[in-house]
Amino acid sequence: MAIKKVIVIGGGVMGRGISRLIAATGIEVILLDLNQKIVEQSMKLIGEEMNAEIEKWGLTKSEKKAILSRIKPTVDLNQACGCDMLIEAIPEDLKSKQELFRKIDKLCPKDAIMVTNTSTLSITEIASVTTHPEKVIGMHFLPPVTKIPLVEIVRGLKTSRETFELIKKFAGEQLNKTVVSVYEYPGYVTTRIIVPLLNEAMYVLMEGIASAEDIDTAMKLGYGFDIGPLALADMMGLDEVMSWMENLLAELSEHKYNPCPLLRKLVRAGHLGKKTGQGFFKYDQEGNKIGEAISFIKW
Amino acid sequence: MKILVLNCGSSSVKYQLIDMDNDLVLAKGLVSRIGMSGAVLSHKPHDRNEVKISGEMLDHIVAVEHVIAILLSPNHGVIKDKSEISAVGHRVVHGGEKFPDSVFITPEVMLELRNCIDLAPLHNPHNIRGINACQRILPGVPQVAVFDTAFHQKMPPVAYIYGIPYVLYKRYGIRRYGFHGTSHFYVSQRTSQLMNKSIKELKIITCHLGNGASMAAVDQGISVDTTMGFTPLEGLLMGTRSGDLDPAIILHIMAREELSLHEANTLLNKHSGIQGISGISSDMRDIIEESSKGNAGAKLAFDIYCYRIRKYIGAYAATMGGLDVLVFTAGVGENAPLVRKASCENLEFLGVKIDSQKNDQMIGKEGIISTDDSRVKVLVIPTNEELVIAQDTERIVEEQARPRETSRGL
Repeated sequence: MAIKKVIVIGGGVMGRGISRLIAATGIEVILLDLNQKIVEQSMKLIGEEMNAEIEKWGLTKSEKKAILSRIKPTVDLNQACGCDMLIEAIPEDLKSKQELFRKIDKLCPKDAIMVTNTSTLSITEIASVTTHPEKVIGMHFLPPVTKIPLVEIVRGLKTSRETFELIKKFAGEQLNKTVVSVYEYPGYVTTRIIVPLLNEAMYVLMEGIASAEDIDTAMKLGYGFDIGPLALADMMGLDEVMSWMENLLAELSEHKYNPCPLLRKLVRAGHLGKKTGQGFFKYDQEGNKIGEAISFIKW
Repeated sequence: MKILVLNCGSSSVKYQLIDMDNDLVLAKGLVSRIGMSGAVLSHKPHDRNEVKISGEMLDHIVAVEHVIAILLSPNHGVIKDKSEISAVGHRVVHGGEKFPDSVFITPEVMLELRNCIDLAPLHNPHNIRGINACQRILPGVPQVAVFDTAFHQKMPPVAYIYGIPYVLYKRYGIRRYGFHGTSHFYVSQRTSQLMNKSIKELKIITCHLGNGASMAAVDQGISVDTTMGFTPLEGLLMGTRSGDLDPAIILHIMAREELSLHEANTLLNKHSGIQGISGISSDMRDIIEESSKGNAGAKLAFDIYCYRIRKYIGAYAATMGGLDVLVFTAGVGENAPLVRKASCENLEFLGVKIDSQKNDQMIGKEGIISTDDSRVKVLVIPTNEELVIAQDTERIVEEQARPRETSRGL
């Protein structure tokens, strides 16, 4: 089965990245969000994100134009009926994901593949509300989607081998990503391992052991990370990071996943990282770090 | 036997349908500006006027579909049925050391071609897309890949080994490969015909100046050195490619600007060259026009472009120990007298004298542009890669049909 048309649901950081990635391979993408205003904003952001890449010489203007022309914004879920694949990238909440999959299950053609981009929720649980759980699979992309060369492919309990093989081929050959296959278990590989690291970095900051800049510098230079843990959390979105922690805590009942109080405080204050201009660091419109970071250092 | 020749470039698809029984080009054309606004398909049947069809053609698959459709069209077409196409010959940029000759395309060959993508990131993917499109649209029709690298495979090691640990050549095949081989081969053979001399007696420098540009030193019919290297990035300044530069520069920029591998790659391949220097255009016509209006960036880009060609003419005359003929070909080489003139400036000591009048008149056609008393003859020869590809395709398809021991390639 050839994938010719894909509907991406949710125009957040992940949905936008996935839309761009797929459109760049020549496949038509429909990008759906809740209302006209949000979906238009998503399209605008996709354009801006590509402009930033052109500035960094990663893309040319003509490539941008070709990619944009293949992404069609919509608010009409019925558009899903002509698609070979659905990719869900809405906020990390089981109830709303299940609600969406229940609706999609009725609209999509029988052989359409239903993909979720969840990082911590159970594929099996999401698939349980559909009539074709064998067609449901997880594709866990990491942000920035167009740059990170990895995708985790997650099999639910009832995901069929055909679905798995097709997605593996699609991700590897068409999207040009390196594939890691994981079995249904909360957090898979990447989220489960990075979350305690981020949490620990937040504690180190909160306890006044080192400045945010120094924590990031130490981990970057000391262990060869491309980006420090606090800047990484800011980039991922602090609300997202906290919801992963809460999901992992609920599933695994391990204290190490309990969100650091500082994280809870920032999320409550609406300081969600890069996307709101303030997290552990401050950011300008283009997402460049500006000004002072949060500090707990006493002297 | 009718052979369709496809040349899928980074933003274009060139095609010719050639009847090999009488070497007649039944139709030829070009899809340009693929992926940009206002893509155009220009199609010229041999016995009728040229037609142009414009529209949005966002990738190579759509472009090839349009090409096949117009070859079959009742008004502009030249064949009645797809089955009249006996074989398809594809220009493929990089064949590595795996393919010293053209090859019949099989699934195994396709796999090897994909392995070569890293070597020519700007071209091989488009070539492969062209092959895939044909396999879909013309199932069962034999397809042959003709490589840009093949003609340079006889280069001696002194020309192809780089000054880095030898083990890297052994491990990853890192060496000079050279490109535009089909074009350098064609114009050097054609030179021998025009000079009425055996190729064995000639020392030729061929300058293929298109959007991508390279030069080759052709001694006794063999390419003994060429400006492009491991990838088509080395050597001359090009439309959007940097050509030669100190390799430490890119490491420095990557660190300073925190660039990823991908970004560094597109910086050198798509944002550099005359486009990067002038900030105006990757097209030499625009550069010449803006330069004549006094634009300093355009003039600098033009001067660097021609300076580097001149530098390599000197180098290759030295490597061959002499020079008999200098040849210009491809878009810029065939159509830009100003570039030819500037590239040959101050080369009288080498025996190169350009006749300004002849040079100015030689646009898009074959002929001599040096003075009668010029010791080195300077020629303009419109390249014909398609003919070479069609001839190779016919040879390979016939070999494939014969018993196994005669087949070449993989």
